[in-house]
Amino acid sequence: MSTLLLEAERVKSYYHTREGTVKAVDDVSLDVENGIILGLAGESGCGKSTLMNTLMMKIRPPLYLVDGEIIVDGERISKMERKEIKKKIWGVKISLVPQSALNALMPTKRIIDFIRDVVKFHVDVSDGEIVSMARKRFEELNLPEDSLYLYPHELSGGMKQRAVIAISTLLNPKLLIVDEPTSALDVSTQKRVLKLLLDLKKFKIIDSIVFVTHDIAVLRQIADRLVIMYAGKIVESGTLEDVLSNPKHPYTAGLIHAVITPEPEIRKRGLVSIPGEPPNLINPPSGCRFHPRCLHAMPICKKVVPELVDISNGRKVSCHLVKA
Amino acid sequence: MIPPILKNLLRIKKFDISVSIILFITLVGIIGPFVYTVDPTALHAPPEVPPNNKYPLGTDSYGRDLLAQLLHGIRSSLYIGLTASLISLAIGVTIGAVAGFKGGITDDSLMLVTNVVYALPSIMLMMLIAAYLKERNPLFVALIIGLTSWPWVARAVRSQLMSLKSRDFLAISRMAALSDLKIMFEDLIPNMASYIFMAFVLLMSGAMIAEAGLSMIGLGVTRGVSLGIILYWAQLLESVRRGLWWWFIPPGACLVSLATSMLLLSTSLDEYFSPRLRGR
Amino acid sequence: MLLKVKDLSKTFIVGLLRKKEIHAVRKVSFNIKKGEFISLVGESGSGKTTTSRMILRILKPSSGSVIFEGKDPWALHKIEDLKWYWKQVHGIFQDPFASFNPLYKVDRILYQTFNLLNIESDAEKEHLVKESLKEVGLRPEEVLGRYPHELSGGQRQRIMIARCYLLKPKLIIADEPISMIDASTRAGILKLFSDLRNNYGTSVIFITHDLGLAYYVSDRIMIMHNGSIVEEGTPDEIMEHPKHHYTMRLKEDVPLLYRKWKGF
Ligand SMILES: Nc1ncnc2c1ncn2[C@@H]1O[C@H](COP(=O)(O)OP(=O)(O)OP(=O)(O)O)[C@@H](O)[C@H]1O
Ligand SMILES: Nc1ncnc2c1ncn2[C@@H]1O[C@H](COP(=O)(O)OP(=O)(O)OP(=O)(O)O)[C@@H](O)[C@H]1O
Ligand SMILES: [Mg+2]
Ligand SMILES: [Mg+2]
Repeated sequence: MSTLLLEAERVKSYYHTREGTVKAVDDVSLDVENGIILGLAGESGCGKSTLMNTLMMKIRPPLYLVDGEIIVDGERISKMERKEIKKKIWGVKISLVPQSALNALMPTKRIIDFIRDVVKFHVDVSDGEIVSMARKRFEELNLPEDSLYLYPHELSGGMKQRAVIAISTLLNPKLLIVDEPTSALDVSTQKRVLKLLLDLKKFKIIDSIVFVTHDIAVLRQIADRLVIMYAGKIVESGTLEDVLSNPKHPYTAGLIHAVITPEPEIRKRGLVSIPGEPPNLINPPSGCRFHPRCLHAMPICKKVVPELVDISNGRKVSCHLVKA
Repeated sequence: MIPPILKNLLRIKKFDISVSIILFITLVGIIGPFVYTVDPTALHAPPEVPPNNKYPLGTDSYGRDLLAQLLHGIRSSLYIGLTASLISLAIGVTIGAVAGFKGGITDDSLMLVTNVVYALPSIMLMMLIAAYLKERNPLFVALIIGLTSWPWVARAVRSQLMSLKSRDFLAISRMAALSDLKIMFEDLIPNMASYIFMAFVLLMSGAMIAEAGLSMIGLGVTRGVSLGIILYWAQLLESVRRGLWWWFIPPGACLVSLATSMLLLSTSLDEYFSPRLRGR
Repeated sequence: MLLKVKDLSKTFIVGLLRKKEIHAVRKVSFNIKKGEFISLVGESGSGKTTTSRMILRILKPSSGSVIFEGKDPWALHKIEDLKWYWKQVHGIFQDPFASFNPLYKVDRILYQTFNLLNIESDAEKEHLVKESLKEVGLRPEEVLGRYPHELSGGQRQRIMIARCYLLKPKLIIADEPISMIDASTRAGILKLFSDLRNNYGTSVIFITHDLGLAYYVSDRIMIMHNGSIVEEGTPDEIMEHPKHHYTMRLKEDVPLLYRKWKGF
């Protein structure tokens, strides 16, 4: 077994709002091994971004870590002081490319000035070095050099996103979390970004990647393991091949069937969507959270929350249909 | 209940320290004169007495009570600082906002005016106006400072606005055919509130320093006291050489700590409102 | 013809000292008929967003013309005319995080549309807003009264779509409107666009990088590269007989579910 870069144990993080508690991440355990690319997929609003923020300990009210432990590269960050996390963990051990590229950049600062601020916060290097580091990474991401000297609003959507990826990997973190990094990119740039992520890993600049997306076809290209999330819980995980070719959870199957790609296999199959709506996370359905939309629901599904059980070699499913 | 934004701000040490200092000195300036009711301009105490029980901060060469002077001085310096910064803010924000929002020829001409005022050495301008006025009460001094120190605010507000203008949410409001005025007041100004407040704090510390500067060259208020005026007299009668420390240290320290805590306050606000990727 | 775009161009000038021109859009021309669903596909930075903003009357073109139902939106200045235009032509922006003013509840985005519609009664407004949210698969009680940062990316995108649904414009320009919406919800949203077309004759310019999606939903695909439209045709023509080398590359780069790319 390879070593674990990140371990999350029974993590619960909730938003306390006026309307009630949003159980956006509810009892999630997740390991990221050294040297893998882990893909996280799930419906919009199921808690993917929240989970990623939690793994980083980027937790601010109204979000609270209610329970659980998070260990990054041997350090128990769930117990650490925020200041220490900021200085020692973020950007250095684990870095997050947030979902919104524009909001991550400072609208009033040129990209290069922003990079200078970020880098100087963590390490002591000269301006010249920072510029050459940034230049190199920008070139690798196929961004014109001039764009370093522009303001964020002068870049196109895709360019902004790549700029944020470049900035996040500048300090060579061990684990890179990317939240929907390619959703604003055209396919060619997307492919380049994916290739770059693979290369960053190949050259050991970063060790592991957690890749969040709703686009399973993208995960198909790069992920080693797949984790499927539904309504704040992990419903299935396993190697990419296993999960795609033989989905065990009805929701996973539904998700895979809803993929649209220009392929004969899919044209034959037609477009299938999962009936019903995603559940309300303030007041989620009892038992299995998927049961109101599940075609195979049984009486037990309404009553008992299924555990995420290991069915073979790290393949985990949480469904009453599946026997361990 | 404390609003969440204040709660977060209170976690920043710089913010706590600077706000406490400012609040403390301000309260002393406001309440002090009511508690310690000695007339700061009365000349009947013995001259140049060091601090003792009767005169807690001593007296100056003319026999004026220095504690009374300090309390009134803080009050009028704060008054001048506040009035001057509000005047600059009003002019600066209006000019900057109109220029940034309207663009085109309006922008060009307003920025021309701004740059002209900016390029004029403002201390010269202040001296000219001040020397012209024989009678100068605190309001006049505040006006002089306020009317000359707005250009950087106008420029800063304009550039903020330019960057806000390119934000998508503005285009969204525009597509709902909201009027320019509505967009200005609903989308633009509120998003600049924190920034404008920062400018205000900076202006205020600048204005208090400028007041002292004017006073030191003999162009300060002609009636009443201010921190600058106390320092002016202290300097005129060579208090430093003659070791009359109780004369110049208290007003100097008040001025410096007010001005630096305001700078500190604005950096802490900047830190709170700007970092994004740096990790919040 | 609903919309005629002729020789539309935009040049940005950036940099303070070393001024530099960026030709973001170069002489783009195309027409759109009533009820037509067109996809605009192209690489990052090829000028898709810039084109859409010029049509939406947000960004002034450097040259060229936009004619909608015989009128040039850039010649309209009276507030009544502008209301008419934005009632007929409305857009969804690429970045759902930037589309919301962070200081207001998300309700504002939806209620703003009543500035363009003639609806007086508050009960009616509320009813319409709720209906539109349900249409895009959101529960009104879950999103109304919330601030934008309290919603996920896909939820925000759907609110923007609900806004268009409220207006029922004749032309919707949607810039990557569902890039953050997962496959299972996506089908419902696509159906919404086609319902609008069937029931109200709405035309759509769908900006996307996802050729697969474009292939499924559009009547016509336009491929944009470097500020120009380099190829256009029906989905079958584009997918089966791409002519421009750029289109071929685009086609190769679409991630597939059943095949892995070479070198990955
Ligand atoms: N600040 C907040 N306050 C209250 N609820 C929130 C907040 N942020 C997010 N939520 C809610 O938490 C749930 C999970 O949100 P999250 O952003 O993690 O979803 P996601 O899986 O990343 O979705 P997407 O793919 O659309 O980005 C959503 O139902 C959302 O409405
Ligand atoms: N406000 C601006 N000022 C200067 N240059 C700009 C501005 N907006 C866009 N550009 C430039 O124009 C070009 C086209 O940008 P545009 O946003 O239209 O691309 P896009 O096709 O939408 O790309 P993406 O798929 O990445 O969103 C880019 O090179 C960009 O840098
Ligand atoms: Mg998300
Ligand atoms: Mg774009």
